[in-house]
Amino acid sequence: MEPIDIGIIVSGVMLLFVVLGMRVAFAAALAGFVGLTWIFWAKFGYNPDKFMKALTISVKTAGQVPHAKVSSQALSLIPTFILIGYLAYYAGLTKALFEAAKRWAGWMPGGMAVATVFATAGFSAVSGASVATSAVFARIAIPEMQAMGYNKRFAAGVVAAAGTLASLIPPSAILVIYAIIVEQDVGKLLLAGFIPGAFSAIVYVSLIVGMAMIWPSYGPKITGYTWREKFASLPPAFPIFFVVGIIIFFIYNPFGDPWGTPTEGGALGAFVVFLMAVIQGMRWGQLKDALLETAKLSAMIFTIVWGVLIYVRFLGFAQLPSAFADWISGLEQSPMLTLIFILLAYAVLGMFMDAIGMLLLTLPVVYPAVMALNGGEGVLAADSAFGMSGPMCAIWFGILVVKMAEFCLITPPIGLNCFVVAGVRDDLTVQDVFRGVMPFFFADAATIGLLIAFPQIVLYLPSLA
Amino acid sequence: TEWNVSVWGKPRAFTSHVEVLNEMLQEKTGGAFKLNISYGGLSSNKENLDGISIGAFEMAQFCAGYHEDKNPTLTVLELPFIGVNTLEEEVAVSQALYAHPAVAKDLGRWNARLLMPSPMPQYNIVGTGEVRDTVAKMDGMRVRATGGLGEAFKAVGAVPTSVTATETYNAMESGVVDTVSFAQHAHLAFRTIDQADWWTANLNPGTVNCPIVVNTDAYDALSDEERAALDSSIEPALAHYLEVYGEVLKKWDAVLAEREVTKVMFTEEELDKFRAVAAGPARAAWIEKMSAQGIPAQELVDLVDSTLADNR
Amino acid sequence: MAGNAAVLEDGSRLSRIDRALAGIETKLALVSGLAVFGLMLLAVVSVTGRNILNVPVPGYVDWIEVTMPLIAFMGISYTQRSGSHIRMDILIGKLKGRMMWAAELFSVLIMLVLVLFLIWGSWAHFARSFDFAAPLWSRDSTIDIRLPIWPAKLLVPFAFSVLALRLVLQVWAYGRAVVTGAENPIAVPLPLSAAEQAAEEASHVSALDTKGAA
Ligand code: NA
Ligand code: NA
Repeated sequence: MEPIDIGIIVSGVMLLFVVLGMRVAFAAALAGFVGLTWIFWAKFGYNPDKFMKALTISVKTAGQVPHAKVSSQALSLIPTFILIGYLAYYAGLTKALFEAAKRWAGWMPGGMAVATVFATAGFSAVSGASVATSAVFARIAIPEMQAMGYNKRFAAGVVAAAGTLASLIPPSAILVIYAIIVEQDVGKLLLAGFIPGAFSAIVYVSLIVGMAMIWPSYGPKITGYTWREKFASLPPAFPIFFVVGIIIFFIYNPFGDPWGTPTEGGALGAFVVFLMAVIQGMRWGQLKDALLETAKLSAMIFTIVWGVLIYVRFLGFAQLPSAFADWISGLEQSPMLTLIFILLAYAVLGMFMDAIGMLLLTLPVVYPAVMALNGGEGVLAADSAFGMSGPMCAIWFGILVVKMAEFCLITPPIGLNCFVVAGVRDDLTVQDVFRGVMPFFFADAATIGLLIAFPQIVLYLPSLA
Repeated sequence: TEWNVSVWGKPRAFTSHVEVLNEMLQEKTGGAFKLNISYGGLSSNKENLDGISIGAFEMAQFCAGYHEDKNPTLTVLELPFIGVNTLEEEVAVSQALYAHPAVAKDLGRWNARLLMPSPMPQYNIVGTGEVRDTVAKMDGMRVRATGGLGEAFKAVGAVPTSVTATETYNAMESGVVDTVSFAQHAHLAFRTIDQADWWTANLNPGTVNCPIVVNTDAYDALSDEERAALDSSIEPALAHYLEVYGEVLKKWDAVLAEREVTKVMFTEEELDKFRAVAAGPARAAWIEKMSAQGIPAQELVDLVDSTLADNR
Repeated sequence: MAGNAAVLEDGSRLSRIDRALAGIETKLALVSGLAVFGLMLLAVVSVTGRNILNVPVPGYVDWIEVTMPLIAFMGISYTQRSGSHIRMDILIGKLKGRMMWAAELFSVLIMLVLVLFLIWGSWAHFARSFDFAAPLWSRDSTIDIRLPIWPAKLLVPFAFSVLALRLVLQVWAYGRAVVTGAENPIAVPLPLSAAEQAAEEASHVSALDTKGAA
């Protein structure tokens, strides 16, 4: 049996285990481990005497992946970005943002939902993880929306969808992961996410307003706040702009040189939020809570990282990535069509996978193919297929892929944001949240279409830096 | 026979000898002996020796400086100001060292056999701001240089600053560091040259040593014909490597001219000052540290010196 | 499924062991959280040291690299106890009673076997970097300031061993549930009821409100 056949069989078995409810990280690691053993034993001609040797090589190969792969500086941004989100919650920033958004945007049709989207977008500027953001706003926004008589599924859908903004608007853990895999400038990628993130938020808001105008029962508006009340809500939310400023200035300083590296910016932002939380009265008990939540989410993410990478290591030995790259670059059709097919494939894959796992699994294979489609890493805009230079194409594709990955956080059957919202609010089942989030599929499809048609939305900021 | 080979990054000058080795092997054995070269799919670059030791793949490339404790003997070639000026000299000293029994024993712990070097040019620095062309001007200079090279710069009052290779561009842009030390191809790859105002053409402070190794059992299991094909292909593969790297150096000169980067020349007097502070003490410290582990350190240093003398 | 899940407790031996192990797991997870906090402080020290004193933290990147395993692995068993490692529970969620516990038992049994192999493999990874005869017992070091890496590598088999204990306990607990057919077995993660969820949430939010008022 050829390694590629082994690769396909083992991948099928992995999907089966995932569907049967095994923890995704462990199903992937198991598939990788079994696949490696199979490949090494095949190399020994399935000689029964050499099975132990093949097993030993496989165990040791798989066993070095967890340590080797998580010991990276760039990955250290992820727990920092998670911690900052939890600290912001304890610093009262979430509530303050939500209150301000409610008073200023509540007059619109679907006002509370609109306010939720704006508050989430603001919170996204300090939170690097979609899942954490959804978890936080599920606690704050859903009860308020339900109290206002909002459809509970719709309310849950708004929170699950708006949470995805956290991964486009910097800081963003998943943009960091993309940058690591494709070896591109983290700072420029983070910068590039800003406008598409804000743009996505506006598309969500338009959708909500439209729905609330057609079906008023979906989201009654809230009125009656005086100007005094409106302005009173601003100062508590103000510190968030300070923190955003710090992070931005470490990545991109419009007035001169940036102040440091993105790693430092993330950590410094977290430190400022920490100080604010302490001033707000956070004590050891709450800090411990934040640290434990950070530890839990970090363990969850890193377990997926190394689990999937054991599987990716097996794919490397099975030579699947190079087979795929050859196939893609051999296609005789327009590069744009191929790109759209790739993004559609992500939408399908994303139904079954979580975002980080999907990127880790596919990018080593897909990214080189996309760069080749555009005309190579060093291509000039004038000679390229998509009308942009190699480095710009890397950024553009990164934002598209991250938007797709975010999309898969809200699509069934594995949609992490929906799971978390249902997990935090147990009066909601996962199925409820998936139903509520469905309208937002159309919003995301529209956003992605516009990002493809108008790459400037993505590339404007990074081209300045 | 089919060997899996673990290298990293993209196909480039640095891996050109492995690529051409594969072509020559297939030609000489009529396709019976071939290499599957994987760019990062089989291992991370810092774990390549582990993979060889496990037997996961048969051939690999790594750099000694990534993990000194894994390969203490090889780091003699990474000492500052060892005196290597050209890639040809780098090949000669590497091959002499690889043939030494103490070095073979060191790598033997990983079940690895040294096949050939991937000679790297000297890690000259690119810098922003005012040109630093004397030792005195390096005082307080924030430099991205790791390991022994970092210590060498520290000896003349510079401040080694820890930044990952991928963050060097940001780090230069934001003033986290003023200068970065890399070989030319890395200055191009990590775009530090795009930030640079000047480049030290003749500082030649040192470099890293990056051998190609093979799994000893796999090497021993080759047929006589295959082994002969492999052994006889090493010299031409290295010759090809030097040719390809020559193109990189030409491109480097073109980029320097295009970006109007100043080529900084240190006077012999200034170089001597640097060597006096950085080279001698580092060498003595290395000999002491390695001798304590039972490594014939003085012998290795002498071997490098005598080989260099013979090749001039 | 992520999010919170309850682990029921009673006076049985199984539950006592579960709580004892949970105590250790919580401490380890806290170590992981503190490591994140420590990296944040390290960055602050690094930025201020560099900009004010021109003294950056030597080997800043090396320190991060040896700290990352603390963050990545110390919470792994804590996360398993509360059922927070991601999975797809649409199919398994449809099962009831014994069938469900049997499916869970099957899943944790396979995980246990995998984790035992990974303990072997990660131990071997550690063992290659460790040598009693070498200075600092080190056979593998970081690139810049040459920190020994073996302590970081040792964390992996250690954390996996704690996870293996947790999995053994879950095999026991699910096995017992299959035998007794209990509706709400002890020592395994169960989804919270709406009332429990609300109570838990109230404690979170009220803590926040008190603090806001202060
Ligand atoms: Na964000
Ligand atoms: Na999904």
